Amino acid sequence: MYNSLTRIQNVFGFFTTVAFVVAAIIAASDFTSPRTPSATIKTTNVQVVKGRPHYYSTKKEEYAIIKFSLDADLSSLFTWNTKQLFVYITAEWPAPPVGDSMNQTNKAVIWDSIITSPSADYLSNLGPATLKKLKRSAEGKSIDPSRGKLSFKNQKPKYQISHPTGKIAETDDVTLHVHYNVQPWVGMLTWNQNFDFGRWKKMGQGISKAFELPAIKKKDAEKSK
Amino acid sequence: MLSSLQNPRQAAAQLLNFALILSTAFMMWKGFSVAANSPSPIVVVLSGSMEPAFQRGDLLFLWNRNFLAETDVGEVVVYNVRDKDIPIVHRVVRKFGTGDKAQLLTKGDNNLADDTELYAKGQDYLERKDIIGSVVGYIPFVGYVTIMLSEHPWLKTAMLGIMGLLVVLQRE
Repeated sequence: MYNSLTRIQNVFGFFTTVAFVVAAIIAASDFTSPRTPSATIKTTNVQVVKGRPHYYSTKKEEYAIIKFSLDADLSSLFTWNTKQLFVYITAEWPAPPVGDSMNQTNKAVIWDSIITSPSADYLSNLGPATLKKLKRSAEGKSIDPSRGKLSFKNQKPKYQISHPTGKIAETDDVTLHVHYNVQPWVGMLTWNQNFDFGRWKKMGQGISKAFELPAIKKKDAEKSK
Repeated sequence: MLSSLQNPRQAAAQLLNFALILSTAFMMWKGFSVAANSPSPIVVVLSGSMEPAFQRGDLLFLWNRNFLAETDVGEVVVYNVRDKDIPIVHRVVRKFGTGDKAQLLTKGDNNLADDTELYAKGQDYLERKDIIGSVVGYIPFVGYVTIMLSEHPWLKTAMLGIMGLLVVLQRE
């Protein structure tokens, strides 16, 4: 009964139980910290150009380049269990109904950003100089809410969006939406909500005014001929 | 040594005990599978394409039901490329249309380009049926054992050997 083997087994069993209970408590602690995210976004410049999906392609597609200005305060999302925050902006526009299902929509990410918590800085995929700068920006801090404050003016999109049909010019009723995804150290992944949930408030604003994608830019069209 | 073999009743009890442990684990796995409606409700991350969110060896819990909302842009999904059986964990970045026939495009957070190159020939977009679940829960590092086991096959032999030895040697 009390040989060394059963003792090792018991110690290991106890260790895993304790580890899982602590992890569960940490995961549950997310719900105790209030979240009050807010963002304002507006488009500053919208263009549609013709291009190819990749260098060797002969197919010509239309690409929308949507520049935007963003002011966001996501600092309340940084807690001791936050590993990173993934912020992304989608362009959304209605699609023509397919069969009997109305309310079709198209969504595409035009810009995204990974904001690591200082405790996860060492994991980011950055060059040595940038990483050093990032680490120094939060020296001695394990949580740095100021990283959640974003302010961009006339920001270029990371992704130029197209549509499977290759046509995107003169699309009406396009809106930009700010989203976030909180990646914890352990526990549930969470996204922005459309409703208040306990101490987590819904995203304040974060939707742009509807706009229209213009016709293809003349100069680019001539150039590509 | 081998005293358990001289006592058939004890040997049978040990065998049953071992079978019980195995079947409990299997039942739990299948139970999760039914609850989440996913063929593999718990996956281990094998690549660094979603770093820094997920490292190799992290354990992900999947959910494959759409009770409240459809699988949407921004969700991290696990999908199988057509005719291939390698599950890939990436984020949905584009979605054209709504419903089962919606066209989805994915991308790894740590990759520069989207996944068009990863898909099968002639497959430009994913559909809902290619997805085996969206990531909802996360435990770091726990799954690293399975990576060790698959990368160093001798570990498997060693582990089985030790377990067998324990079963035979264990008294009480």
